Amino acid sequence: MNRWVRFGAVAMGVGLLGLAAAPAVWALDTPKGDAANGQKMYLADGCYQCHGRVGQGGLMTGPAPILAQTRLPFAAFSRQVRNPVNDMPAYPQTLLSDKDLADIFAFLQALPGRRPLKEVPILND
Amino acid sequence: MSKRNPADAIGRRSFLQGAAAASAALAAAAPAAAQAPVPPAVGKAAPAPDMVAETMPPPADPIQQSSSGADFMLEVLKALDFAYVTETPASTFRGLHEAIINYGMNKQPEMISCTHEEIAVAMAHGYAKIEGRPLLVLAQSTVGLQHASMALYNAFCDQVPVYMIVGNTVDATVRGLSFESAHSAIDPAVIVRDFVKWDDQPASLEHFAESAVRAYKIATTPPMAPVLLSVDSELQENPIADRAALRIPKLSRVAIPQGDSGAIADTAQQLVKAENPVIIVDRLARTPAGLTRLIELAETLQCPVVDIGGRLNFPTRHPLCHTGRSGAVISQADLILGLELNDFWGAVHAFGDRIVRRARSITRPNVRTISLGARDLYIKANYQDFQRYQDVDLAIAADGEESLPSLIDQVRRLLDADRRSAFEARGKRLAAAHNAMVEVWKSDATIGWDASPITLARLCAELYHQIKDDDWSLVGNGIRVTWPHRLWNFDQHYRWIGSSGGAGVGYNAPASLGAALANRKYGRLSVAIQGDGDLMMGPGTLWSAAHHQIPILYVMHNNRAWHQELMYVQAMANRHGRGLENAHIGTTITEPNIDFAMMAKSMGVYSEGPISDPKTLAPALTRALAVVRKGQPALIDAVVEPR
Repeated sequence: MNRWVRFGAVAMGVGLLGLAAAPAVWALDTPKGDAANGQKMYLADGCYQCHGRVGQGGLMTGPAPILAQTRLPFAAFSRQVRNPVNDMPAYPQTLLSDKDLADIFAFLQALPGRRPLKEVPILND
Repeated sequence: MSKRNPADAIGRRSFLQGAAAASAALAAAAPAAAQAPVPPAVGKAAPAPDMVAETMPPPADPIQQSSSGADFMLEVLKALDFAYVTETPASTFRGLHEAIINYGMNKQPEMISCTHEEIAVAMAHGYAKIEGRPLLVLAQSTVGLQHASMALYNAFCDQVPVYMIVGNTVDATVRGLSFESAHSAIDPAVIVRDFVKWDDQPASLEHFAESAVRAYKIATTPPMAPVLLSVDSELQENPIADRAALRIPKLSRVAIPQGDSGAIADTAQQLVKAENPVIIVDRLARTPAGLTRLIELAETLQCPVVDIGGRLNFPTRHPLCHTGRSGAVISQADLILGLELNDFWGAVHAFGDRIVRRARSITRPNVRTISLGARDLYIKANYQDFQRYQDVDLAIAADGEESLPSLIDQVRRLLDADRRSAFEARGKRLAAAHNAMVEVWKSDATIGWDASPITLARLCAELYHQIKDDDWSLVGNGIRVTWPHRLWNFDQHYRWIGSSGGAGVGYNAPASLGAALANRKYGRLSVAIQGDGDLMMGPGTLWSAAHHQIPILYVMHNNRAWHQELMYVQAMANRHGRGLENAHIGTTITEPNIDFAMMAKSMGVYSEGPISDPKTLAPALTRALAVVRKGQPALIDAVVEPR
C-alpha cells in the first residue's frame, strides 16, 4: 500500500487515539514540564523528522500523526513513545529520560496548533 | 531517394579494414622511429607532411553514399508516428542519429537532447502517461543501456510503454577502435530482459521493419511495458541494397482484452447486492475514458472509491472519493473490487515495519474480493514488483478500462427501485463523510502556517492558489506529498500522472519534464514538486528543459536529505538504543547545502531561492509562474519541512 493510502488507512485510528480523552482526564496525570527544554529535546531526538518541527504531522512509510496540542493523555503518550504500537521507533529511558519526555509533552501542548480557517482564506480554494 | 552508386556496396567494413591496415603500418614503423630519434632541428623548419597522401582514402574505398539503412529505419519509425526521440549521443547509433536530423529533418520525431540515458528513458515514461503513446529513446548498447536500466525498470513497474533502440556492432571483425568492442555485446538486452516486455536484434532491414512494428504493438497493448530493439551499427550505416524490396508492415489495430462476460455479470450482481462495496483502483485510467467510466460506475452504485493513485482514476473532490478514509471504508466493506490494482494484498492488510514483521488483514472475515486487471495476463519471475499474493474470490484477467462499459451496463440492468433507494441513502452518508474529511484536512493544514522552514501544507496551498485557474497538471510529486491530493481539485485525467512505479529515485525530475513536453502542445501549465535527492540523480534534466524550452515549474521540496532513509536509519538506531547523533551520516545533503537556484541558473533555467520564509514564497511563485506561462522552465528552491 502506498503512503497516500496508508495515510487514509491509519489516519482514522490515529485520530481516534488523539481525540478520545477529555482534557479533564489527561490533566490529572500530566507532569509539569519545561516546554523550552522540550523543544530542544524534540529536535535533538529527531521527533521532528517525522512529526514536523511544529507538530503538524507528516509521513514516514505511514502517517506520523499531528502532535501540536495533542489531546492524548500523558500516560498514553508516554506508552506510545516507550513502546510504540506501530512503526514508530521506540525511545527507552536510556535514550530519553522521563523528565525530557515530560518536557516534550509540555512543548507539544504549548505549540499554537490549528488556526481558524477564516484566517487562511487560500485554504478554501 | 537517389540511385545508389554500386561502389557504395563496399561500405564501412572496407573502409575500416583499410584504416586497420594503415594503423598496422604506422605501428610497424614506430619502433624504428623510436630507435633512431631525430634531434629537433635548430633554426630549420621540420619537413612538411605529405598532406595529399595522408588525407586520401584508400583508392578503392567510396567516400560518399546516397542511402543508408538508417534512412529506411527512420521511414519505419516515422510510420509509427513518434513525435520525439530522447537521446544521449553515442557512436553505435550515429547512423540513426544522422538520419533523424538530416534525412528526417529533425521532425516527427524531433530530437530531445538528454545528458544521461536515465533522463532520456524517464522523460519517455512521463510523456507516455500524458500522451497515451510512447516516444522513442536512443541509447548506446552497453554503457548507455546500463545507465538507462533503472528508468526502464520504473516504467516496467508502472506499466508504461517506452520504445527503446540501442545501437550495437554485432560483427566483431568490423570493430576497429577499442571502445567499439567495449560498446558491443552479443546480447545487449540481457541486462534489462527481466523488465522489458519484448526485445529483438534484427539481422536485416526487413527484419528491422517487422520487429519495429511488432515492438510498438507489444508495448502499447495492455499491460503496457517497455520494449527494446538492438540495432546493428553496420545495418544502420551501410547503403541499402534494394530499397524497392523493403516493405514497412502496417501497425495492426489491437482489440484490447475485455473481461469474460460471465465473470462481469457475476461481478455486477455482487456489486448490486453488497451493502458496503468498495472500489480500490490503481492504474485503471490509461486514458481520460478510464476516469469517466469509473465515475459512472461509482455513481451508479453510490459506492466509495479508494484511489491508490498510479493514475488520476477518480476526482479528489468527488463525494465518493474516500481515499483519505481508506481504512474506514475497507474495514467495513462486504465486497471489494480491485481495478488494475497491482498490490491488492497491500490494500487490504496493515503491516508493521518492526523487529518482528507482522501483517494483519484489515477487512471483515467474510468480505468478498474481486480483481479486474491486466496484471494477471503478464507477469515475470525475477523482480518482485508483482507484490504479495492475494487470494481473491474472483480474478478477471482483462484490461480494466476496457471492461468497465460492460460492467456498468450489467450493473444498470440489475437495478430496481429498492436498490436505487438504498444506494441513494448510502451516497448521502458517504458525501457527508467526504465533506467532513476535507474540512479536517483544511484545518490540519493551518498548523505551522507561518513556520520556517515552510510546512508542506503551506507550500502546496500557496502553489495551488496560484495555478487553480490555469489548466494545470501536477506532473511530479517525488515522495507523494499527500497535501495536493487533500487540498487540490484533481478533476481531469492529466491533473496527475502517478509516480515512478519502481520507486527508483531519479524518476521525478525527468519524468515530470517528459510529461511537461507532452502537455506543451495542449497549453497546459505543468508543475512538479521536486525532491532534492531525486534532482541530484539527474540534474542535467534542467538543461534539457532550458535547451528545448519546455515550460514547467519545479518547486523544490528541499529537505536537504534523503529523508526517507534518514528516518529508516533513525528507526534502526533506536532499535539498538544507540541514539540519533549519527543518523545524519550518509543520509543528509548538507555541508555544503546545495544551491539549487544557482544550479538551475547555470543551465539556463529561471530560478529563485533558497526560500525558507513562508511570506516570500507566494511572490516568488508568482514570478516563476509568469516565466512558465511564457513557455520557459523555472525552479523555486523552497527549503521546507522534511515531511
